[in-house]
Amino acid sequence: MIKKLLLLFVVAITVTSCVSVKEYEKIYLNDPDMVLGLKKLDRFETTFQAYREAAVGANGGKTGGGCGCN
Amino acid sequence: MKKLIVILLLLNAVFLSAQTAQDSTQVYKKRVLESAEVDFLMSYYQQDGDHAAVTGGIGTEKLNNITPTIVLSVPLNEDDVLTIDGEVSAYTSASSSNVNPFDGTKPADPFVASSGASGSDAWIGANASYSHSSDDRNRIWSGKLSISNEFDYFSIGIGGSHTWLFNQKNTEFGLSGNVFFDSWYPVYPYELRPFAEGGSGYFPGTPVYNPTFSTFTKTGRNSYSAGLFISQILSKRLQGSLSADYVMQQGLLSTPFQRVYFSDVDSSFYENFRLADDIERMPDTRSKVAVGGRLNYYINQYLTLRTFYRYYFDDWGIQSHTFSVEVPVKISGSFTLYPSWRFYNQTAADYFAPYAKHLSTEQFYTSDYDLSKFTANQYGFGISYTDIFTRFHISKFGMKSIDLKYHYYSRDTGLKASIIALGVHFVMD
Repeated sequence: MIKKLLLLFVVAITVTSCVSVKEYEKIYLNDPDMVLGLKKLDRFETTFQAYREAAVGANGGKTGGGCGCN
Repeated sequence: MKKLIVILLLLNAVFLSAQTAQDSTQVYKKRVLESAEVDFLMSYYQQDGDHAAVTGGIGTEKLNNITPTIVLSVPLNEDDVLTIDGEVSAYTSASSSNVNPFDGTKPADPFVASSGASGSDAWIGANASYSHSSDDRNRIWSGKLSISNEFDYFSIGIGGSHTWLFNQKNTEFGLSGNVFFDSWYPVYPYELRPFAEGGSGYFPGTPVYNPTFSTFTKTGRNSYSAGLFISQILSKRLQGSLSADYVMQQGLLSTPFQRVYFSDVDSSFYENFRLADDIERMPDTRSKVAVGGRLNYYINQYLTLRTFYRYYFDDWGIQSHTFSVEVPVKISGSFTLYPSWRFYNQTAADYFAPYAKHLSTEQFYTSDYDLSKFTANQYGFGISYTDIFTRFHISKFGMKSIDLKYHYYSRDTGLKASIIALGVHFVMD
């Protein structure tokens, strides 16, 4: 499984690294709603989900520790 | 694995201090964070259902929680940012109050909240993180310390990450690691306590009740996690990311106050309450793997599409899929609406069975419906107000944005929950 994940990352880098958008062309990508991650206010939502669901990780939230959940 | 994560964290700390010294010769750089920022956050959460784990898979799951939080980010120089946050999570819980349902005010009943001391408590937590960016802003190091405490649980954690940006900042690759050292102060169901070693071996009013009960001898729980992250700009309007987390936990992974009832043991009741046959018993190790991806597309000046998918599995037999979509709608220069939908499903843990379905001969067992097979849907709506001129001031801080979000969560096991969160973002002049 770990090997497959590493392969996935290598493929992802290889396939996409040819794309190059210049800094001055990033006006849409720099929109606050285009951020590839959680906003500060989302911390509460991901925390309650970590309590109520088995799955954690890969979303920027808690992966265990710090609470009795999970 | 544990050693590898600890070594990575130490190396990260060494690189962080070395890079700080190296970068100190630069004359001028644009600051990573222009000025200090403060976020005041607050959430209110409530839930209800009929499958409380504390009463073995039946009973009220009613819970209310309020969480005031403050997050302070301070630029220490052009390259370094210190972020400190403090959070208090205060709750009242009908479910956990039934750790001791025999309060004498009304007949004990799994569907009725007790007035016991365990019915309310506060979780207090604090985090401090420090990040350093290289001169060309293509490398970022960060370290993090965290500590939290509640009446039956204490945690201290350390973490770090290293991020590389390349391909004209079109590609980002990151590694992260976290270690948590947690401790339980076990609280057991009230009726079982006399049957622990050294106890009286007798629960008043129930002469035939004689469970075989032993307390946990090890109360620590350690969690080690390692993560990979890559993001890529795919076009002028499209960008995505992939991330993977591996988590290994060891120690006391059972929740000591969650009851279990066996089908092959005679029931004993006190009032309307069935007395516990045992508590949840789970393996003392668990490995989890999560792989997720995000894809965001800027449709036009009014609409953006944000999507997320995650596949998760662990060695307790659980697999899950998570999918979410959010479509921010800019209705003016200041206001944005955030409708969202999230789908989640999971298979049951190997050790899960509903109320009174376990056998006393099993090695591991739980009736916690958070580990059962279920499907959940979550619907959300939010609104955000942004004032780029920060016209409203409190002292030297100007308000830059206010965010309000509401989510309704529904599980096919009957659990319903809702959460409302408010955030106000201030920037120092």
